[in-house]
Amino acid sequence: MEKSIKTSIVCNASAKCRGGPLGFQLAIAWLLVFSSLVLECTRSRAIGQSPGEGPTQIQPAQLQPAQPEPAAEVLEAQKQRIEAMRVAAQATVGVFGVDGQGGGSGVCITPDGYVLTNFHVSSPFGHRMRCGLNDGKMYEAVVAGIDPTGDLAVIKMFGRDDFPVAKIGNSDRVRVGQWCFAAGNPFVLATNLQPTVTYGLISGVRRYQYPAGTILEYSDCIQTDAAINPGNSGGPLFNAQGELIGINGRCSFEKRGRVNVGVGYAISIRQAMNFFWHLRSGRVLDHATLGFTVATDTKGKVTVSNILESSDAYRRGLRYGDEILRLDDRQIGTTNQLKNVTGIFPPQWRVALRFRNDTDTVDTAIRLQNLHLPIELEEIVKGESSEEPKAPPKSPQEEPEEKPDAEEPGPGTPPQGKGVRKKEGALPKEKDALADRYETKRGFSNYYFNRVELDRIVGLQKPRNQWPKSEEAWVLAGTVVGETTNVQIRVTDSSLGFTLGDKTEAVDAKRGWTPWIQQQSLVPLAFAIRTWQQWHESGPRRMGEAIYIGRSPLVGRAGLFDTTRITLGEVDAVVYTAPETGTIQCIELFTDNQSDPAEIYFEKVQQNNGKEIPERIRLAYGLETRLVVDVVRSEWEPATVIESGKEKGGD
Amino acid sequence: MKLCVPIFLVVTVAVFLANGPTQSLARGPIDACEEVELASPLRDADPLNNNAAIDLDGALDTAPIADTKVPLEETDLEELLGRAERSVVKLYGAGGARGLESYQSGVVIGDGSLILTSWSTVLDVDKVRVVTFDGRRLDAEIAGVDPQCELALLRVPDSGLLGFELDPQNIAKIGQRVFAITNLFGIAAGNEACSSQKGVVMAMSPLTTRKGAMKTLYQGRVIVVDVMTNNPGATGGALIDLSGRLVGIVGKELRDEQAGIWLNYALPMDVVKNSVDRILSGQANVAAANTQAVPQPHRLNDLGIALIPDVIPKTPAFIDWIREDSIAARSGLKSNDLILLVNDSRVDSRKGLERILSTINRGDSFAVLVQRGQELIKIQVRP
Repeated sequence: MEKSIKTSIVCNASAKCRGGPLGFQLAIAWLLVFSSLVLECTRSRAIGQSPGEGPTQIQPAQLQPAQPEPAAEVLEAQKQRIEAMRVAAQATVGVFGVDGQGGGSGVCITPDGYVLTNFHVSSPFGHRMRCGLNDGKMYEAVVAGIDPTGDLAVIKMFGRDDFPVAKIGNSDRVRVGQWCFAAGNPFVLATNLQPTVTYGLISGVRRYQYPAGTILEYSDCIQTDAAINPGNSGGPLFNAQGELIGINGRCSFEKRGRVNVGVGYAISIRQAMNFFWHLRSGRVLDHATLGFTVATDTKGKVTVSNILESSDAYRRGLRYGDEILRLDDRQIGTTNQLKNVTGIFPPQWRVALRFRNDTDTVDTAIRLQNLHLPIELEEIVKGESSEEPKAPPKSPQEEPEEKPDAEEPGPGTPPQGKGVRKKEGALPKEKDALADRYETKRGFSNYYFNRVELDRIVGLQKPRNQWPKSEEAWVLAGTVVGETTNVQIRVTDSSLGFTLGDKTEAVDAKRGWTPWIQQQSLVPLAFAIRTWQQWHESGPRRMGEAIYIGRSPLVGRAGLFDTTRITLGEVDAVVYTAPETGTIQCIELFTDNQSDPAEIYFEKVQQNNGKEIPERIRLAYGLETRLVVDVVRSEWEPATVIESGKEKGGD
Repeated sequence: MKLCVPIFLVVTVAVFLANGPTQSLARGPIDACEEVELASPLRDADPLNNNAAIDLDGALDTAPIADTKVPLEETDLEELLGRAERSVVKLYGAGGARGLESYQSGVVIGDGSLILTSWSTVLDVDKVRVVTFDGRRLDAEIAGVDPQCELALLRVPDSGLLGFELDPQNIAKIGQRVFAITNLFGIAAGNEACSSQKGVVMAMSPLTTRKGAMKTLYQGRVIVVDVMTNNPGATGGALIDLSGRLVGIVGKELRDEQAGIWLNYALPMDVVKNSVDRILSGQANVAAANTQAVPQPHRLNDLGIALIPDVIPKTPAFIDWIREDSIAARSGLKSNDLILLVNDSRVDSRKGLERILSTINRGDSFAVLVQRGQELIKIQVRP
């Protein structure tokens, strides 16, 4: 009974639960008393006592014969569990509003304080929040990126560079029957900043949960019976070893009210990590669509029922009626499976696809496209968030939306936990210490973080001063791999020359690139070299509007690469760089979203007096390689020498 | 043990929050069969948004059934549940309206041709749609029901599934670790396996302990578990022990009317086995087709019974009103009685009742079993 009373007090003191908190607490406390009597009566009966003997305390010894000593392996397992929970609890974050109101959960995954949480946890707080760790301290935090569709957000804590982090697990290895535990801040109990840990079983994997009245969509999620309650949202789900396997965010409640009934869902950590660097970009993220829909026939064949001709899948040869066999590494037998896989990837990522048409089985990779229009996302964010851009404490008169927490959230169910951020006149008087860590910009939840990431990318190009000023022409000469055909690319600030064999094409250095790309010519090789030159010489910011996108995969290469998009006049250049070295791996040149970009891969790069010079360059459209060039010579010469038209220029 | 109590209480009792209005099931099963009434708005989703496509049929080409002969004796939990899941099926039938789910769970038993489940309104269809763990869809017929235990047996031609053995000796003990495998909330769709939950047996107790508090036909002993197993759609699911053997069939949702507490329970194996035996021995079956109609049978009108109008294919045989001084009135039948059995033949619908009556001579008396409120009452109708 002590427990129940304490529960009520904590809830009362901290949460100031809206929607009849007193009634709720009284009900809980009262019921605890009442039902324990019922329980004890039931038990008394079960063990053969008559209920007339009164509600005596059950003695454990009556239920089972006393065991002298637990087996050594049981004690060992317990020890391991305690240790796993101890470590995991350190990285578990309680998320509160700046005025200490409300509350959700999160998990810290980098020493400098990046925290994964739910979008529906962060959004009511606007861009500013406070995070509590189990070291007993509160840390100021600010939102970075948000993903309204996938219900994820990244927030960043400040004040330490050695925050405890959760070890990232492998959610693809999660199986039904494994033990797991959730940690977090259910019912805003963690006002002492000690997370609540609940133990449970993995009940299901790869579940697809439809949006609950909003666009939040849980695909490929993990189902557990570990108690996940309001306030647990955004918090970590760990496997028995204490590795992070998911972000808790949803429950099935239905008619029993907003408390756990043995069914909670976590976003897989794989999905979260796919989006993590995108979230760090401070953008409002979108989710992806394949560009086609499928239907499942009576034999379990998943076939294309509709396809956009502008989609990458169409360009890769997928047609109406083709059978989908595999997406990413997952065999596809149902529509839900297809949606599950699609949901875990950001748009623009390329995903492996295997399909069967009338004659062949085709293996390809398709570029995912955006699920929403930017304007749609804006409206969603507006609707979900009660943020007022300038003032850290958000407007108190906004409706405290409660819906995304539940699959079947009921109107009139008392908001618990994070639903309680309304407090009249709770504006902090002091100036916000993190005011300079927040910048508004259209399409961004916090543009500050885009600058941070772009600074990091730029910082990786240290030997910039080694690059000659572009008054000089940069000439790369080489041969087509496997042939003797000569290739020369000459780049100046005003014009670009591309010579293949005895034919030279000259293009303006700033405009007129579109037709060359759309006709899938070889000339964009020169555009990429120009981009390479500018990237190294002046940096992405001076080239055009540069936005850090996140990290993305490249076909045929392991790992993820920092991705930066630069608007160069009418063409968008997407530059992929290695996370550690900053070396450019690939440049994609987009003219629009309806046609294939020119993809220029830098297969080999050599260091030349502190400069990085491409050594092998490959041009591809779609997935088809058009030209591979081995560079044999790189030099700078006075720019005035050549302004070529169409003339013979092979050397 | 002391520690267990508050934990249980928090989990189970906090459901009192269900003081709001009962919410309707907003969504049908994602992968439900065509004849199921789906309250799903998602069916008509935007065709160009691929995420909105609906899976209308979820079978796989392959049917990777474990051909192991050993009935679940693994100790490794992952493997144990992975196997047990394969013997629990998702059932889809009537329902979908407010508070009435159109789906529930079923347990494959014996040689795989029988599915044991709860007798509920979900089964009020000609053919119950069975979806297996690997997404195959089968049609099941009702082999028989046992109103007292609220259990039903379905027959499927060839499920290819390994069935649980019904061992009446496998009685759950208090404190025992159990797992519930059910289709709760209809979460598992298509080729997804049912959900597994862990629990501990808290009590073995008759449901009548607090008379009148629980609206249930079944009044016998149940296994009470400490976690929320009996959610919507969970009924008919399996409760298994640590060696993968069936220890119980998850019961219907049950709420203490006075306290608002939801009970989480399962029917124990001895009760289940007994019930299945009775069903299989034909004690509670639909009238055999070979029973001949007699020239001068009983007629509802002559008996003084008016049933509710026959509006759906399987309208239950609910008595709308009884004519005063009629045979029915004198025998003790009342309005709002639901006729379940006539001479031990199951009455599956209004039409079924008429069919059975047509085989009984007008001069003969017959026995009926009716459900009146939460009671089962046997009545002898004497002309």
